Amino acid sequence: MRILTYSFETVLHMDSAVSEHDFVLRCQPMSTFAQTVLDAQTVITPQTTLSQQIDGFGNLLQIGRIESPHDVFSFVSTGMVVVDAADEHPELAHPIYKRPSAMTQPTAEMIAYARDVLRVIPNARPQAKAQALSHALHEKMSYTPGTTDVETAAADAFSQMSGVCQDYAHILIALLRAEGIPARYVNGLIVGEGATHAWVEFHDGVRWHGIDPTNDRAIDDTYIAISHGRDFTDCPIESGVFRGGARQEQLVSVIVGSEQ
Amino acid sequence: MATKQEQELDEQTPYTDLVEHTPKINQQLARYGVKFGIYKDGTFNERLFPFDAIPRVIEASTWKSLEAGLIQRVRALNLYLADVYGDRQIIADGVVPEDFAFASSGYLPQCEGITPPGGIYSHISGIDLVEGQDGTWYVLEDNLRIPSGASYPLIARGLCRRCDAGTFRTTPIVDNRDYGTRLKAVMDSVNTGGANVILTPGRYNAAYFEHAYLSEKADAILAEPKELFVENETLFYRDAGRNLRVGALYRRLSDEYLDPLCFCADSLIGVPNLMSAYRAGNVAIINAPGNGAADDKGIYYFVPKMVKYYLGEEPILKNAPTYLPFYPDDMAYVQEHADTLVIKDVAEAGGYGVVFGSELEPEKLNDLKTLIRREPRRFIAQEVIDFKRLPTYIGGKLVPRKADLRAFVLSGAETTVWPSGLTRYSRVEGSAVVNSSQGGGFKDTWVLSR
Repeated sequence: MRILTYSFETVLHMDSAVSEHDFVLRCQPMSTFAQTVLDAQTVITPQTTLSQQIDGFGNLLQIGRIESPHDVFSFVSTGMVVVDAADEHPELAHPIYKRPSAMTQPTAEMIAYARDVLRVIPNARPQAKAQALSHALHEKMSYTPGTTDVETAAADAFSQMSGVCQDYAHILIALLRAEGIPARYVNGLIVGEGATHAWVEFHDGVRWHGIDPTNDRAIDDTYIAISHGRDFTDCPIESGVFRGGARQEQLVSVIVGSEQ
Repeated sequence: MATKQEQELDEQTPYTDLVEHTPKINQQLARYGVKFGIYKDGTFNERLFPFDAIPRVIEASTWKSLEAGLIQRVRALNLYLADVYGDRQIIADGVVPEDFAFASSGYLPQCEGITPPGGIYSHISGIDLVEGQDGTWYVLEDNLRIPSGASYPLIARGLCRRCDAGTFRTTPIVDNRDYGTRLKAVMDSVNTGGANVILTPGRYNAAYFEHAYLSEKADAILAEPKELFVENETLFYRDAGRNLRVGALYRRLSDEYLDPLCFCADSLIGVPNLMSAYRAGNVAIINAPGNGAADDKGIYYFVPKMVKYYLGEEPILKNAPTYLPFYPDDMAYVQEHADTLVIKDVAEAGGYGVVFGSELEPEKLNDLKTLIRREPRRFIAQEVIDFKRLPTYIGGKLVPRKADLRAFVLSGAETTVWPSGLTRYSRVEGSAVVNSSQGGGFKDTWVLSR
């Protein structure tokens, strides 16, 4: 168990003013068995009223609309969380996490790959299988930003064997589900990383466990989960639509620290 | 030379006045803009939906049992939707296997945990039925998303009435002109405080004429997505300078395009954050998003079981006999009788679609049987129902044509069946395909009051 403070800021620069800007943020952590949120705040610029709701996946949504023209949109999310990755409360997995989703459709090669990695431990427990798959992926893939984008599906990232945390997570999810292990996508923050991160949770029949294939390690008390879903498309940290043509430049900064 | 059946038809059909007026009625329908849009080979075409003046006539006693069966079925389907997006009790009790409940592409996890106003999911249900040669009615399909077509018989009835008032005076036909009133009652019953609005994708949509027609009949505002917006979990209609709150939205736009911030992010139509107003309980969406979870080919098999499970009643309406290769007994039957069955691929994209076993070369049939053994959950198989032909006036003479019936069930404060319906017939001799997209036409459906 550990207490973490976090602060992360996203700034979107538009090349010309936009209006009638509707947005949804999933930028605040929620209390779960593995983490307790002590304090959380979101500040939006330009200022607007935010509605809070929970979506179908259990994520906290902050919803708003900025009617008047603006060329910068930013949100700062800050707070304090008690993390306890070792918590053992049981929790059921929704059946949707067993099925392939739009971005995690496995190819025949991927199914064969998972089987091959696990051929020496076909009857192992989900933990051992997830670790083996994560390790194998980590060895095989090269972390190369720019080779994929947010719309790259697991199958494409797998065939080129490169990508970023989102791709690692999508591929591992596809492999786990192909092996019959429920798995979901998680967005969040880690101590020492200057950007948001993505990882995987798998269900062992009793509870969810986090695993980070990009770093090939189990989730520990340096991770804060923010949103989750079947894959990236279910739980983006920020999404919005607006009137007015605009190219966007996005700047993100994250600071996660430990309260001693 | 006329066949024996055609001769019989000629002697039977008393609606000569109506038949005589058919060309005129079709001209009027064309002027109204009663068209049907179809996608074929990647291009969009609009064409007229030909009307045949000889109605389908349903006796009062038959209608009474159909009505009871339809209400029962739709009640069960509504309960299933509340369950599948709620406690999943029917799945826990093993009545509907998880693999079918959540494999449906119409199941939307975004709708988990939302209770729609009034607890109703399917407000307007289009149930497709056929009458077998022995007079037994079978449900072929439940349409719980945005079933269309009520306006066709509604308009045609009005035109026929004008052409041939005598027939309507002397025949005890139940009046069907109250569809708009019924639709309004449904909208009012779930309205959360505000205007009733019908949302159309726009005037280039194939069914725009119906959207406009229904908004007039139900006294609702007809709006395009750009005329609506959401602020503070509330849906508004921009009405000449002021913003009008919307309490019930009958949307004629499919789920994936409804809200780009919840479903398909690429959607250029839709109302951003509409789902936030819905989630907050501030607007009723008619029909509820996510209803596809209950009208999918794989779920159809379980509807009679839902009736028993939720209502504790015997289903009044039958399904066409259906087999799920997922179950070993059904698999054995399907493998043995594939050549006489109609086989439907439950997988949406790139699937086999609907295949009549009797039309396949032996080699292709074997391939399909192998595929069914390999992917048993992907297929359902049905007995081919030889359904009744209705006398239809084509090319200047009466010919028998296969026809189905789409019945409209409306659920608001109570569940009722509109005493009419859309009867679609096949233009082609012997063909069982009656979809308007396949070149069929339509008839009025007369329900007799005695």
